[in-house]
Amino acid sequence: MFYALVGLRGPLALVLKYALLGAADALLILLLSAAINKSSFIIAGVVIATLIFLNYSFITKGAIPLKFLSVGLIFFTIFVVTPTGYTILMSTYNFKTGNEIARESAIVEILNNGLLPDDAGTTYDLFLGKSSDDQFAAILFDPVRSQLLYATERGTRPISEGDITRDSTGFIIEAKGIVKLTDEEFSGLDEVITNLRFPLGDGSFANPQGTDVAARLTQSIEYNKNKDQLINVQSGEIFIDNGEGNFVSKDDPSFKLDPGWRAFSGMDNFKSLFFDKNLRDPFIKVFIWTIAFAFLSVGTTFAVGMALAIALQDPIKFRRFYRGFLILPYAIPSFMSILIWRGLFNQEYGAINTLFGLDVAWFESPWLARFAVILVNLWLGFPYMYLIGSGALQAIPSEIEEAAAIDGASEKQAFITIKLPLLLQILSPLLIASFAFNFNNFNIIYLLTGGGPTNAIDGEVAGATDILISYAYKTAFGTNFQNLGLSSAISMVMFVIVGSMSLYTLKKSKVLNNL
Amino acid sequence: MSKKVGSNNAWKHILAISLVLFTAFPIYVVIVTSFDPTGGISSNSLLPVKFSFDNYILLFTDSRVPYLSWMKNSLIIASATAVTSVLIGAAAAFAFSRLRFRGRRIGLKSLLLIQVFPSFLSLSAIYVMMEQVFLVTPSLGLGSIWGLYLIYIGGALGVNAWLLKGFLDTIPLELDESARLDGASVPQVYWLIFLPLAAPVLAVTAVLSFIGTFNEFILASLFLQDVEKRTVAVGLQQFVGGQYEQTWGPFAAGSIIASVPLVILFLSLQRFIIGGLTAGATKG
Repeated sequence: MFYALVGLRGPLALVLKYALLGAADALLILLLSAAINKSSFIIAGVVIATLIFLNYSFITKGAIPLKFLSVGLIFFTIFVVTPTGYTILMSTYNFKTGNEIARESAIVEILNNGLLPDDAGTTYDLFLGKSSDDQFAAILFDPVRSQLLYATERGTRPISEGDITRDSTGFIIEAKGIVKLTDEEFSGLDEVITNLRFPLGDGSFANPQGTDVAARLTQSIEYNKNKDQLINVQSGEIFIDNGEGNFVSKDDPSFKLDPGWRAFSGMDNFKSLFFDKNLRDPFIKVFIWTIAFAFLSVGTTFAVGMALAIALQDPIKFRRFYRGFLILPYAIPSFMSILIWRGLFNQEYGAINTLFGLDVAWFESPWLARFAVILVNLWLGFPYMYLIGSGALQAIPSEIEEAAAIDGASEKQAFITIKLPLLLQILSPLLIASFAFNFNNFNIIYLLTGGGPTNAIDGEVAGATDILISYAYKTAFGTNFQNLGLSSAISMVMFVIVGSMSLYTLKKSKVLNNL
Repeated sequence: MSKKVGSNNAWKHILAISLVLFTAFPIYVVIVTSFDPTGGISSNSLLPVKFSFDNYILLFTDSRVPYLSWMKNSLIIASATAVTSVLIGAAAAFAFSRLRFRGRRIGLKSLLLIQVFPSFLSLSAIYVMMEQVFLVTPSLGLGSIWGLYLIYIGGALGVNAWLLKGFLDTIPLELDESARLDGASVPQVYWLIFLPLAAPVLAVTAVLSFIGTFNEFILASLFLQDVEKRTVAVGLQQFVGGQYEQTWGPFAAGSIIASVPLVILFLSLQRFIIGGLTAGATKG
């Protein structure tokens, strides 16, 4: 049969290969030029690395394994390994709402926040343009004191009405020695202009607030670069880096300047997870429920699925119908079924309350909500357990049963003492996989209860049905407060648990031995 | 093998029938709701009160509900992901199963380990990354289904390589050895011998990947903000995800339309899928 197919070997295969490679190269080069155009050099670098790696792996002679792995490796590296590494890195940072930006940007923002208007709230009419030596220059008119100033970034000097021209409304339209900026120049220089400072001589300065208004501001906080300190000019208070991403008052370390920056914090996120009472208590609560939820999910689905597998092992009436119908929950897209169940549990119009004549607020009581989660997961999961269970039943040789029967064991005895242990042994890798899956089963929690009910009065993030993954998600992407550092630490804890579980299973199942 | 046929079957029927009722309950309610023009999920009565196709018609006529676009997006992204990830996974599985090279064992182990990292918690990292890509080329960045596709197939290597390697290991070594003796190159062994032999397993893997992508909710909801570009999962969730306003009628109708092809696909491939699922179990 091979000889017939060797035709594929020669030119045709070669043409195909280079056509595909060429197409990929073309796309990547398009992307590269776009990246360079937008001066996005990280992306450009990644694209160049990809180009080199891809072409090397396919053009070089030999290195056959690489040809089979390169495409997958590229995607895996960019979209899985990199973000994973970044998450691990984040877990060692104080990275939360209020500490999100880089240190330099935080200092700039603090200084900007430290700009205070003078007591009178003085504002000026502004006529902004450039002087003959192409420097910014402006006419400032203080209508309260009728003071007229010519200002540059070096200083100001008084001028007289004769040096300017006003229109009928009093708006300055011309000034001696200044060419007014056009609207286009204004919009192009927006950032520069809002940072312009025209010193007024007494430590305060005029700062443009728009195209025709300036405010008189004083810098109340200054940055001392040598000492790396911030100083309140008026009160003399000194602010120092507390090593955790904030400048704090030297006298009162609990007084922070906003914003902070994301600062390296070593193991602090992990420490607070285990030792800070406010974080530890919800974490432990969530942790216990996660384990309980995963166990109960596997337990209930396995019990029901296995019972069904046994019931349908030998031909009975309607067996085909039962089989076909009962795997429906596995075939229906699960996000839909979960949302449907959410509707069924609704207090006012939900079909469950209607069916049983109840008026229960299922998702407002912690225990009822937990019950609902387990019940829905049973609905979703028993068909899978039925499928693998019936597969395993077929794999058990019938001689075992016969031998047990000859030895005088009843059917029940034979099942409990011989079959069940055997089944558990055969299925243990899949059961542990199912445990790991439920351990991270975000969809059912998020879509069914949203993790609730939550004790909103205490301002708690963790709800009664939150499992670690939904808790971590809420911690990272919550509406009011987001703590990416802590969330990454929680992910790391989950990673260690599920990872060691998987390794243990693999060791047991001896998969790793004969790699 | 001499069982007393029909002796003790009552409990079997009781179990099966109660499970049928359990299974049928939400399905029944969703069907009734989909035909109920008032939009409640069986308001006060479990029996159908009114019957109309309003909810179905709304999906295809209301301009605020681009259901067809959602379906199209979901089908495109799920098929593309399924095909690509099977190609990537099969190639990697072949390399790990049949080729010997440096870093093979450690590669396999690290693939497995990284795979159990709750990857979607690197969501924020992925988000920041795709924001940058969006600035360079909007067609691949945040908000585009192709950007989402790239992220989905990022995980393909890990998931499918292990799954498929297990199967490829069961193909006897003599087969490729004799082909090599006949002068076939490694790529030929792969394309002409392994892929045809593995076709059923590849099909199952593709279907499972298709279903998985079709079901994926979180990444899609974060990425696809534009109403037109949503997937079915994200689009339909908007009907009922709100705290106060929930319109179950169109949701039910949309769910049924979206489920039917998947259920048919699943039931028709049932035999293979079950085979694929239990392969892992019975190999022990």
